[in-house]
Amino acid sequence: MRKKSTVSPYQTIWRWHFYAGLIFAPFLLILAVTGSIYLFAPQIEQQLYTKYYEVEAQGEKIPASEQISEVKRLHPDAVITKFTPGDSPERSSEIGISTNAGTSSVFIDPYTGKSLGELNSEDRIMDKVEEFHGELMAGTVGDRIVELAASWAVVLIVTGLFLWFPRKKDKLSGVLFPRFGKGKNTLRRDLHAVPAFWITAGMLFLVMTGLPWSGLWGTNFQNIFTNSRAGYPPSIWTGEAPQSVLKTKEIAEVPWAAENLVVPESALEGYTPVSINDVVNIAEREGIDPGYTVYIPQDKQGVYTLSAFPAKAQDEVTMHLDQYSGAVLADYRFDNYGPVGKMVALGITLHTGTQFGLINQLVCLFICLGIILVVMSGFYLWLKRKPKKEMGAPKAPSILKMKFFLLLMIALGILFPLVGLSLIVVGLLDLLVIKRIPSAKKFLSAE
Amino acid sequence: MKKKWNYINLIILSLMLGACSPNEDAAELYQQESPLQADITMPQAFSGDEPFRISLTQEGQKVDDANFVHFEIWKADGTFRLPMEEAEPAGDGTYTFNQKLNEDGLYYVKIHAGSNGSIIMPTKPFAVGELSKSDVEALNGMAPDESSHHEGHH
Repeated sequence: MRKKSTVSPYQTIWRWHFYAGLIFAPFLLILAVTGSIYLFAPQIEQQLYTKYYEVEAQGEKIPASEQISEVKRLHPDAVITKFTPGDSPERSSEIGISTNAGTSSVFIDPYTGKSLGELNSEDRIMDKVEEFHGELMAGTVGDRIVELAASWAVVLIVTGLFLWFPRKKDKLSGVLFPRFGKGKNTLRRDLHAVPAFWITAGMLFLVMTGLPWSGLWGTNFQNIFTNSRAGYPPSIWTGEAPQSVLKTKEIAEVPWAAENLVVPESALEGYTPVSINDVVNIAEREGIDPGYTVYIPQDKQGVYTLSAFPAKAQDEVTMHLDQYSGAVLADYRFDNYGPVGKMVALGITLHTGTQFGLINQLVCLFICLGIILVVMSGFYLWLKRKPKKEMGAPKAPSILKMKFFLLLMIALGILFPLVGLSLIVVGLLDLLVIKRIPSAKKFLSAE
Repeated sequence: MKKKWNYINLIILSLMLGACSPNEDAAELYQQESPLQADITMPQAFSGDEPFRISLTQEGQKVDDANFVHFEIWKADGTFRLPMEEAEPAGDGTYTFNQKLNEDGLYYVKIHAGSNGSIIMPTKPFAVGELSKSDVEALNGMAPDESSHHEGHH
């Protein structure tokens, strides 16, 4: 005879799902709404910035160096940080500058060499949406909150799946389809649980493909796999780029004579940096995707970095050039990524909806709308069930009495350190505060 | 029970704090390049008797069988330009060429060399005799301007 356990984990898991859902609902809603908008950033920006983007193809493009000269003429004090040649004959060049007022882009018609206008980075509405999506416009703190919410979303998915899991055989209503004829309470529950099940895989996919971006989990994840040959090669996400070879020993032995003028010391150090035109030629020679950006070295040991992250992950390139010789110091394509790096790269283009174009965007939008529905219906479910003077959390035995669920939460707490950290904080709060205040204990149905 | 909780928490915390950082040698685990390197040695005098020397190395080895080694020379003020020519292999990883330069001023020599998949194009400024004021200004502008006109930096 098997000994039957007296405590069912159902109530406890429900309780965890309840509190986690209630706390993270607002953040998941923000992520889903901002994500839905940012999915269509390419189309939206194309509409917003047509006057900066579109040029009429006519004759030959003028050299990159002259396009940059025009920007220097317009902004004598600006530092040129990057150069993005248009990815099609009808697209303008974009030159990134940095001034005391911040960073901005100057759009140049590559046929006439004239400026089409400037966009301050601060004014890019889609960048704001992305910042909201990635860090709630609150820097590192926001990044950690988003990561916390995303990590807890995994807990919600796991506990939710358990609660949803059919207990009666051969019954698909209430599992795969909502039950419309069984009263309002049943319908409300089904309108949360059934759609949630349908988009479970999608939700989990968006969470898991988004987490590699995060500041704590993502950085560690990238480091672990980069260091073990399985991830991205260094310098794409984490790790250092190679450095240009400085030949300091070559300082001219005989100082150059010059009509009582001081010859700048930097000029005597040997080599002059290769011109941007050479860099553009190298990009063409190496067959880099036309949507690339050249990052211009800002110090003596810096490198020119050619970076292309186009719609499809397979076309990605990160190439570092010695700024003095133009030698390719590193050339990382999709094929050079480790298996985990390839998965993450594909995950990112699928997450942002670029990999398969419009269909991809629509599928992601559908998942986002599903998340919005599930968050709202979950919240509504609580409002309808909530007693007046209590939170309405299910009363349940402590997790410490559940071997399996406890182990699962510990595993999730280790896998997602912010889940673990938040559990410690909540555990301490419970121990030191809630347990000592009877009214709080009653309100939260804490045992 | 509560002690056990705290113990578990301690383990989680220590795991989190043991976060790892990028490895400095990680690049060696991925596709690597073998960049060509060139050293250009100027002659003491520019009478044309003593050659310009280019020594090529790749992965620490001297390169005697480069695919090509070309050079071009131009004067910063645009009054002189020597079109691209081939340098002669002189053994021991060096390639040489002779060029007489009469006029005083700032010059640039640019090498184009390729070997075993790596192509480089370093440019080195050098002075013949005394530099003029505009030469010094050009040096202040750093990047060699190969086009005829000069804008910016006023």
